Amino acid sequence: MTDIDEAMLIAWVDGELDEVTRRRVDRAVAEDPALAQRLETHRRLRARLSGHYAPVAAEPVPPTMRSLLEDSAKLVPFARPAPRWRNWSIGGAIAASLVLGLGIGRISDGPAGPVTVSNGVMVAQGQLASALNGQLASAQQEGPVRIGLSFQRKGGGWCRSFEGSTLSGVACREGEDWQVEQLIPGTGPATDYRQASSTDDRITATVEALIEGAPADAAEEAAAKAKGWR
Amino acid sequence: MSFESDLLAILPRLRRFAASLSRDRADGDDLCQAALEKALRARDQWQPGTRLDSWMYRIMRNVWIDEGRSRQRAARTFAPEEAGEHVGHAGDQDVEAHVMLSDVDRAMHALPDEQREAIALVLVEGLSYKEASEVLGIPMGTLTSRLVRGRGALIELLGEAA
Repeated sequence: MTDIDEAMLIAWVDGELDEVTRRRVDRAVAEDPALAQRLETHRRLRARLSGHYAPVAAEPVPPTMRSLLEDSAKLVPFARPAPRWRNWSIGGAIAASLVLGLGIGRISDGPAGPVTVSNGVMVAQGQLASALNGQLASAQQEGPVRIGLSFQRKGGGWCRSFEGSTLSGVACREGEDWQVEQLIPGTGPATDYRQASSTDDRITATVEALIEGAPADAAEEAAAKAKGWR
Repeated sequence: MSFESDLLAILPRLRRFAASLSRDRADGDDLCQAALEKALRARDQWQPGTRLDSWMYRIMRNVWIDEGRSRQRAARTFAPEEAGEHVGHAGDQDVEAHVMLSDVDRAMHALPDEQREAIALVLVEGLSYKEASEVLGIPMGTLTSRLVRGRGALIELLGEAA
């Protein structure tokens, strides 16, 4: 007396029926206890299977798999030739920021380098720290580091993007330090054809991800510097 | 987000899928690891903007099928000798190597591959019929008939029939 087949019952359980058919099944089930029983069996089966495997997805990822991915992420910007990436600059930025995000590695080139690792995070030191503390984007001076933008980050605090021939990146004020949020290879030796204003897309992406409101203008930047970037 | 961190984000689900395809958790993690390695090698083939999870499900399923074939080949090649050596206690060894298989694991393992993968994608991973049939590269009608047959078998094996 019913035209409800097994495929329709399981499609009901899988949420795959359109509204009209679902109502039709509902009506048939309401009138036919045997059909209702079959529907319930299918519902229980689905619940039992998904419940059985659900704990696997709730477990922490095994270290071997995690390190496989992390090692691969580390390789990308440094060792892997990337000519096949159409958007290699984005990929590189992502890879570079992933390296930071995972807190791997020592990017410092020694105690005198521009960046050191302190308490598990990268902080600027030396000339880079001085530039971040003292240089104004609005009054650019000659030096190894050029400040791009000064801006307030979401959640509060000052950040500054910087460019140099060896390193470029973004750093944010944390206490007395400039914590490096992003570090990418610098612009290289200055070349005539390179426009001074062309900020790397990767830096732009990081700034856009962090920034709250608009970048500081000259007056705001000077005021922030006067207050020690607090 | 990078390719690797995107993979890391879906890894718990990938492990679950691997577990539901495999005989037990250890085999599942071996499969998952192999699928990740393959994905990293084939990263250039992934089209950004498309679903990474579907792509990974497909890779994992292919690795699983390939491994199943090579296991079968190995079984055919070595079976006579092995059978001679281990007559009588092959079953015990099995139990030792893969302890604590639950009813569900056993029932899933008893399904033909084509039904198990359909059940795993839809009932365990929660994919829609459309998504699952795309991952498996089969028409939706084929998928639903595998789901019907697979469920019938599971209900019988698990004693779920009322």
